Amino acid sequence: MLPQNKCPPEIEDYVSAQSLAEAVAAMADGQGSALAGGSDLWAQKDSGNGRMRKRLVNINRVPDLRGVSEAGGVIRLGALTTMTELLESTLLRDKVPVLAKTADRFASSQIRNVATIGGNIANASPAGDAVLPLIGLDAQVELVSKRGKRSLPLDSFFRGPGKTVMEADELIAAVEFATPPKGFHGVFCKSGPRPALEISVVAMCLTGILKGGKLTGPRLVFGAVGPTPMRCVKTEALIDGKALDDALIAEALAIMATEIAPIDDFRASKWYRTQMAQTFLEAELNACR
Amino acid sequence: MDKIIEKHSMIGKRVTKLDAPDKAVARTRYINDMVLPRMLYGKILRTDRVHARILSIDTSAAEALPGVQAVITAKDTPGGKIGVLRDNPPLKGDVVRCIRDEIAAVAAETEELCDEAIRLIKVEYEDLPTVFDCTSALANGAPIIHEDRPDNIAMEQNFEHGDMAEGEAQSDFVVEGAYNVHYVTHCNMGVSCTVADYDTDGRVTIYTQTQYPFNVKMDIAPSLGVHPGDVRIIQPPVGGAFGSKLDVYPYEPICVFLAKKTRRPVKLIYSREEEFIASPTRQPVEFKIRAGMKKDGTLTFRDCDSLLNNGGYTSWGATTPYVTMRTMTSHYTVPNVRYRARAVYTNNPFAGSFRGYGNVQATWALETHMDKMAEKIGMDPIAFRLKNANPPNQITPQGSNLGCIDLVGCIEQAAAKSDFLAKWHANNKAWAEPGRFKRGIGIATSLHNAGGAKIHKSDGCGTMLKMDDYARVTIITGGSEIGQGLDTVLAQLVAEELGVPMRDITIINNDSALRPWDVGVHASRTTYIAGNSAVRVARKARDQILRAAAAHTNMLPDMLDLRQGHVVQAETGLALMPLDRILRQMHFAGAEAELVMATDYYEPPSEPEDANHMGDMSAAYSHAAHVAEIVVDTRLGTIKVEKIWSAQDVGRVINPVGLEGQIEGGIAMGLGYGLSEELKIVEGKVLNPSFRDYHVMTAPEMPELDLTFIETGDAEGPAGAKGIAELPTIVIAPAIGNALYNATGVRIDHPPLTPEKVARAIAAHKGLLG
Ligand SMILES: Cc1cc2nc3c(=O)[nH]c(=O)nc-3n(C[C@H](O)[C@H](O)[C@H](O)COP(=O)(O)OP(=O)(O)OC[C@H]3O[C@@H](n4cnc5c(N)ncnc54)[C@H](O)[C@@H]3O)c2cc1C
Repeated sequence: MLPQNKCPPEIEDYVSAQSLAEAVAAMADGQGSALAGGSDLWAQKDSGNGRMRKRLVNINRVPDLRGVSEAGGVIRLGALTTMTELLESTLLRDKVPVLAKTADRFASSQIRNVATIGGNIANASPAGDAVLPLIGLDAQVELVSKRGKRSLPLDSFFRGPGKTVMEADELIAAVEFATPPKGFHGVFCKSGPRPALEISVVAMCLTGILKGGKLTGPRLVFGAVGPTPMRCVKTEALIDGKALDDALIAEALAIMATEIAPIDDFRASKWYRTQMAQTFLEAELNACR
Repeated sequence: MDKIIEKHSMIGKRVTKLDAPDKAVARTRYINDMVLPRMLYGKILRTDRVHARILSIDTSAAEALPGVQAVITAKDTPGGKIGVLRDNPPLKGDVVRCIRDEIAAVAAETEELCDEAIRLIKVEYEDLPTVFDCTSALANGAPIIHEDRPDNIAMEQNFEHGDMAEGEAQSDFVVEGAYNVHYVTHCNMGVSCTVADYDTDGRVTIYTQTQYPFNVKMDIAPSLGVHPGDVRIIQPPVGGAFGSKLDVYPYEPICVFLAKKTRRPVKLIYSREEEFIASPTRQPVEFKIRAGMKKDGTLTFRDCDSLLNNGGYTSWGATTPYVTMRTMTSHYTVPNVRYRARAVYTNNPFAGSFRGYGNVQATWALETHMDKMAEKIGMDPIAFRLKNANPPNQITPQGSNLGCIDLVGCIEQAAAKSDFLAKWHANNKAWAEPGRFKRGIGIATSLHNAGGAKIHKSDGCGTMLKMDDYARVTIITGGSEIGQGLDTVLAQLVAEELGVPMRDITIINNDSALRPWDVGVHASRTTYIAGNSAVRVARKARDQILRAAAAHTNMLPDMLDLRQGHVVQAETGLALMPLDRILRQMHFAGAEAELVMATDYYEPPSEPEDANHMGDMSAAYSHAAHVAEIVVDTRLGTIKVEKIWSAQDVGRVINPVGLEGQIEGGIAMGLGYGLSEELKIVEGKVLNPSFRDYHVMTAPEMPELDLTFIETGDAEGPAGAKGIAELPTIVIAPAIGNALYNATGVRIDHPPLTPEKVARAIAAHKGLLG
């Protein structure tokens, strides 16, 4: 039921772009909303909380926004790559299993079939799951507009819940990251009241090169414990390349707790979110020993 | 023809539900799919206040919107109020008392136009003081919700038996506890929906999801200002009801008024969010229990006082103490008992009936309490329950004869199959050991009515039968199908009596103009009552056929039998003639002609409770015991239910498929109640009206189930069966709570056992919370 004082946004115009050129043209005046899987956009429209602009630009038929490929040591995921593709791509399963692990905990098969990487990033929910391993892989996000192309680290893309550095005329074209080297270790943990079909109450991704019980070049990223995905750089620096003993892990847990910024809401309290984050980190650091 | 046909019984056979194939291939046309020619859509404007005086309602802009055919407010609904205490006007004209309250309604050509028109209605309010909890509502000077009830008490029940002082004096130990149970809602897959159609002569046809068709006629008519005889109720297939459709709710008369005003059919259908906000919930209760026992574990007295948050209006939730009372006075043998319940008006949403009817709540409280008592005297939970279990034919303090029950068998089977005691002792020892994951096992049992409940003047059901010239059988039953499997069980029972294949039986169960009277689907009564009536009507038809066949074969009727579409010689099975031939011979017999038609009205041998709550109100009673084995993550607080052993007295198995479906579905619902479901209501507002934030069980969470059917063979029930559908929902949650205690030493008295609540309780127990 639409809250009775809120109007659903009016869609005045609909464009089904057949090429990237048509898509960026339709976005050029800043009045377009891209439609990928629609699993966020539609729910937001129906609740009257959408940030939907007046022209709906369906990008699903744009071939340049699709595909999973690897060239010159770089893996590229088109913005329209779905969670199901993350689960099923043999390239990704072999070389970046953490993406499949994440997709496996994402929504349900019906949603995974439509939910895209581009949508998960652009939606900029603090609880977006797929962005966590991508930040853990040091991914770059590629933006296109009629004005041209630019690339920036995904880690610097988010500004707050639903807010990003993307301009109104821009589209996400793809994300790219270096093919992980040998010894790359990546884990994704998530919890909510239920094992399946759950918005994260806390999610965590931990990556790095694992050798001899030490994690080098670690990346530690949390979801749903702050306004954006939260990277814990102090904790990363603390454990980088060091032997993970009880004392170091205890210190890491304490420092991490100062880097995240969970809130109290009716889904979970700050106390519980911190407890979950620490439980995940403790278990995963111990698993590295 | 020397064909020999052996007797081949249908009872106990695995039979596919008759409605399953159509549902599986999406061929079933649910009420939500219904479209009538010239049909309009209806929509309700609800308040956004919880307690306020309505100063003005301006509908002019909505009325001016092209495509809007009617806008109605309280002044268009002059009839009486609805609800159990007739305290709920379909549209509110003076005061709103809870968040669901209906202010106005529109009928328009499309649903979108309805939404637009609703947004154009302007309402001015003056806020009134609010009250949300029972204790505050009972305090002196509390805001008064209904002027004719200045004490805010909607209903009160009191019962006392034996001598409480004597019970207290005999006790070596007394255990006290408080248990607050929460709001949950039915989550029917099919949202609430009704279609109303007025004819030119002032008669109304209502297509609706009710499980109570004949009472709806009676209850809705005064609010419409029509004669109950002029109301026809048609029940298309529904996507679940589970008790939620036992009362008349405002949307039903509102839809009728829209149809009356527009002279066109109107369909009113909820959105999912509206379903969460505006449908009845399970009754929340605050229980206080004091109970005593002797050193050897013999129970001496039990005292239960409970407050029910009645919300703004009174629906069936306020009457759940009738069932709760039986559990508190009669589950286990207790010589001295006292029970008190008060339903208190507040500005919260109100509760209706919900599968288990007060007993889900009562069993949570009582079975948690029983575990505490066992621990207090150092008995294990099995021995303590067995010591106090009611024997068969026990007369309860309220005067019920429990008949052929087998609580002892339920407990013993569930305990033996799960290896309960060995695991329970081992887990008890492992509490204090280090480790993040802890294993626990717990048991709970319950008592419930299994042969209807005589809460009306009659608890009966009527049935009509006809057979045609091709030996096809039509059963017109008063019983309603809400997905629970009535059609299948009736077809099976009738096939058994008439020796015809089930597919030759058509069940008609959806039109009050055709069907004989029945109370409705509640109290686990339908197989028992409608089933008995169907068996009786089939026996009448069978006698009629055998009399005619006897005349044709020069035998006596009792030498004959009906098997596989034939009249046979009972002793040898020798086929004498096809059934359709004898039916045609009976039909085309000139002046002697007869058709096979029969009617029956079955009234169970139960009695209504008197004013002192004495009376054997059900024709049968039954028990179930559930054992749950769980693994607790003591850091995250998540409970993984690994396996459930259920042992239930079912009387007799008619169809194992239907029985398993009811028990498995009931357990899923009970697990949701115990673990994850909660409608979060703060200051009268619903915070989580969506499946994103209201967590029903999903398939991966369902544990392995081990079901044992105990067949006590009820003398009155059809083929010996008892009603079975509510018990599995009732009994599982406290088994999980007791298992949590066995795993961690932590008790949580107020469900649901959500991860955060469990994690917090464990952290507090370990002294880790400040
Ligand atoms: C039942 C359910 C369960 C869910 N479970 C999860 C979960 O477990 N984890 C999780 O993270 N999320 C979950 N979600 C949210 C959602 O599915 C994801 O965020 C998904 O990745 C969004 O992708 P989409 O293609 O559907 O985006 P859309 O809804 O099409 O778009 C989302 C937003 O991104 C913009 N957009 C889309 N593509 C582009 C592009 N290429 N360039 C620029 N802007 C773009 C749109 O304009 C819109 O603002 C769930 C949603 C539902 C309905």
